[in-house]
Amino acid sequence: MSGIWYYIFTLVFFLFDYFILAMGLNIQYGETGVLNFAYIGFVAIGAYVTGAVSLPSSKGTGQHYILGLNLPFPVNLLLGGLASSALAVIVAFIALRRLRTDYLAMVLISLSLVLYDICNNFVPLFNGADGLYNVPEPFAGALKLTTNSFIPFFAAVTGVIALIMWFFMSRIMRSPQGRTFRAIRDDEVVAAALGKDVFRHKLRSMLIGSFYAGIGGGLIIQFSGSFNPTAWLPGETFVVFAVIIVGGVGNNIGLLVGSLLVETLLVHLPAFLPAIPGHPGLIEYIDAALIGILLMVMLWFRPQGAVPERPRLTASFGLESRSATDQNAEFNEAVVETTPAPAVIGASQNGRDLC
Amino acid sequence: MQLFWLSFGFGLVTASVLAIAAVGLSLQFGITNYINFAYGDFMALGAFITYVLNNEVLHLNIWLALVGGSLAIGVVAVILNRLILSPFARRFNKTFYVLIVTFGLSLILLNLMYSIWGADVRFYQMPLARSMHIGPMLLTKYQLIVMAIAVLLMYGVHMMLTKTRLGKSMRAMSDNATLAMTSGIDTKRITTITWFTSGVLAGLAGTVLGITEGNLTPASGELFLFVIFAAVITGGVGSIYGAMAGAVLIGLATEVSAAFINPAYKLDTAFVILILTLLLRPSGLFTRSGRRA
Amino acid sequence: MLSEDEIPIPSSPRDTISALSCEGLTRAFQGVRAVNGATFEVPNGQITALIGPNGAGKTTVVNILSGSMTSDAGRVCIGSTDVTNWPSHRIARLGLMRTFQLSRELGGLTVLENLLVAPLHQAGESLRNVFLHPAKVKIQERENAERALGILDIYGLYKLRDLRASDLSGGQKKLLEISRAVMASPTILLLDEPMAGVNPALIDQIGGYILDLKANGVTVLMIEHNLKVVEKICDYVIVLAEGRTLATGRLSELRENKDVVQAYLGEVINAGTVR
Repeated sequence: MSGIWYYIFTLVFFLFDYFILAMGLNIQYGETGVLNFAYIGFVAIGAYVTGAVSLPSSKGTGQHYILGLNLPFPVNLLLGGLASSALAVIVAFIALRRLRTDYLAMVLISLSLVLYDICNNFVPLFNGADGLYNVPEPFAGALKLTTNSFIPFFAAVTGVIALIMWFFMSRIMRSPQGRTFRAIRDDEVVAAALGKDVFRHKLRSMLIGSFYAGIGGGLIIQFSGSFNPTAWLPGETFVVFAVIIVGGVGNNIGLLVGSLLVETLLVHLPAFLPAIPGHPGLIEYIDAALIGILLMVMLWFRPQGAVPERPRLTASFGLESRSATDQNAEFNEAVVETTPAPAVIGASQNGRDLC
Repeated sequence: MQLFWLSFGFGLVTASVLAIAAVGLSLQFGITNYINFAYGDFMALGAFITYVLNNEVLHLNIWLALVGGSLAIGVVAVILNRLILSPFARRFNKTFYVLIVTFGLSLILLNLMYSIWGADVRFYQMPLARSMHIGPMLLTKYQLIVMAIAVLLMYGVHMMLTKTRLGKSMRAMSDNATLAMTSGIDTKRITTITWFTSGVLAGLAGTVLGITEGNLTPASGELFLFVIFAAVITGGVGSIYGAMAGAVLIGLATEVSAAFINPAYKLDTAFVILILTLLLRPSGLFTRSGRRA
Repeated sequence: MLSEDEIPIPSSPRDTISALSCEGLTRAFQGVRAVNGATFEVPNGQITALIGPNGAGKTTVVNILSGSMTSDAGRVCIGSTDVTNWPSHRIARLGLMRTFQLSRELGGLTVLENLLVAPLHQAGESLRNVFLHPAKVKIQERENAERALGILDIYGLYKLRDLRASDLSGGQKKLLEISRAVMASPTILLLDEPMAGVNPALIDQIGGYILDLKANGVTVLMIEHNLKVVEKICDYVIVLAEGRTLATGRLSELRENKDVVQAYLGEVINAGTVR
């Protein structure tokens, strides 16, 4: 297979993978308003656990790691997802319960840096700075795939997994649970005043989102066969935020678009541009900075994203519209109000479905 | 025991760096009510501007270069606030938008520094100093100077907050911005001055971090950020004096812990203390419950 | 509207178990006691007003009663259940709903969705139900939506049902706030200045809604400065001043009460009678 196809299918894999990652962060941040600045840490835990449980026992491999249970795909992937969720539970009980947004963000970023520090330095855990490698290829025994055919195959597998996860996420977001998440995002105090146990719902949101993060991470290590700390510097969390914000918070199609836009910019661009002699990595640096700038520009000019969140309209409940008694409504509209509505972002749209 | 005192001495040095950084962060947080996640990068940028003044452009003595680097970040902070942070903070009524913007700013600054200076480790031009015995502790004259700078700054900040009109206005704004505004305090001016001060302290902290660590990279500030957060949170968010106290606690704890555990993880001790604080006394170890200094 | 003779006068609130009561509530903010030993009982099935000069601690009391704030001392009871320092969601689950002085709409949701958040026991809030019993969830959603549309209709918001709540005008947000609380089928409703900032024509309308609520058996406690409204629809009045209960009774009696008059400096009460 010629190089360009190899390259394109790698892109396709990351498109689907970052779509999964974006869905996970979206349920936490976009739907529930939890600013999880440690998201990449959850992705990493998923990757490491998926890899470590599928590797054989570490003795004699030249690597140092825990677990080493020789488990096959997709069992290892699911364990990776669950490991992330387990971390989410711990984080939720210690930090989420007690802290408001900015303090929580501080603690989470710190967690991300500390996790990174530990994985980088503590070799017995996941082989330290070298990371895990030689992770067995999924389906290696059953299908004898060459490297050339593995890549498009696994990109397709990831696509299928992404589709399934999309289906589940869609159902959750459209359900009353999804609505309660959004209520908490919009105003926690009101949600509590209406009887919602805010912590429990946030915990659920964290659990679901981290599971997605773990799966996304696990797929990465299965695709490339290796995973080390350079893959997940804490700033990577920002890339996932960029996918969501550029694509469209709260809209799954938007997330796919965001993954396409940001991921193409991130992965695509540097590989195509020639390296500048004497300045190794310059393209990557400028590129990363551009993502930051793009995000700010989007946030300023189009905060709802490329594909905005779609409100759930009355028709979707399967009710026929009634002729309202409504004299009151005309009365209300005609009357001059004494308190002006406060200026809130988004007031310029009328809230209708824009896509 | 010998080891303990040695670590204690180093702890005081770390505490000094932390104190400068933590106070800068706290001052800004008190006025703007959001945390600047690019603060670590402000520090690193300050360290690099000092580096340029010290190594490349004017070949200034390290201490003069330090002044230049610090002042430069003061200006940078004011500009970034005017151009980016303040507009976003005014526009969105939820704090998380501006937090994401600061996170993005952090990414941009970091990569800007990487683009200009690369990922190589840099060193300041400073004549070698020998370690001197100060009681049971072993410190170089640079470390002593850094400690002295920290103490002077803490005293200066304390004086400013309590004795000057500027300081009292800052405290008023920190307590209740609306009330401060209606009391005739020029909040815009105070905000600008606060950002300038915060930037200067950040640049200063980044440089002394480079001096005490012996090297600098663009990511040095970011990697240190969580230790600053630990100091601020254990001391009690929003309290300047809490930040100072937290800095001493975290600074000493991280260095002393290095005597007992693998030194590679000494900074992570700060995180453990942070978590313990959250579990046991979330309002901070040095504030009275629910009160902000 | 019933005339003064027809409105039943609660003889002594202590004879029946009151819907909501508090005893010795105390709450300080940075050394200043906003609430200082407030004690009162809210009679069942009546509309009670909580009045008092500015700074008397009324909103703080309501915050404590609804669980949004904790008290430093004192007791709160709903019926005979001690709910002191319960978190607000637990108190809400007992049937106590509240509105806020400055309307807090759920801005990112539509008007209809705002109401749909309100019902307390929604099967669809459990993921198990969403995936294993989707039909049950769908039916309940439809029922809730029908009821919500009915309420929106009554409050004149039906036409706005699919608009983003943040796009509503101030008066519409106020109506949304109240209708959302009503959707939760409360047994006790705490209204924090429902008439504040509302134009005179709308005031009568909201007053009508509140009376309808009473007719449906809801106990209402409302903080209100507009004494004309209090006179018109409230059965019972509690006066708060300097964080404690100054007096209770009917508005007509309270006008004769020297302490009450003094607390208000005579102005506001007289303004009420003039009209």
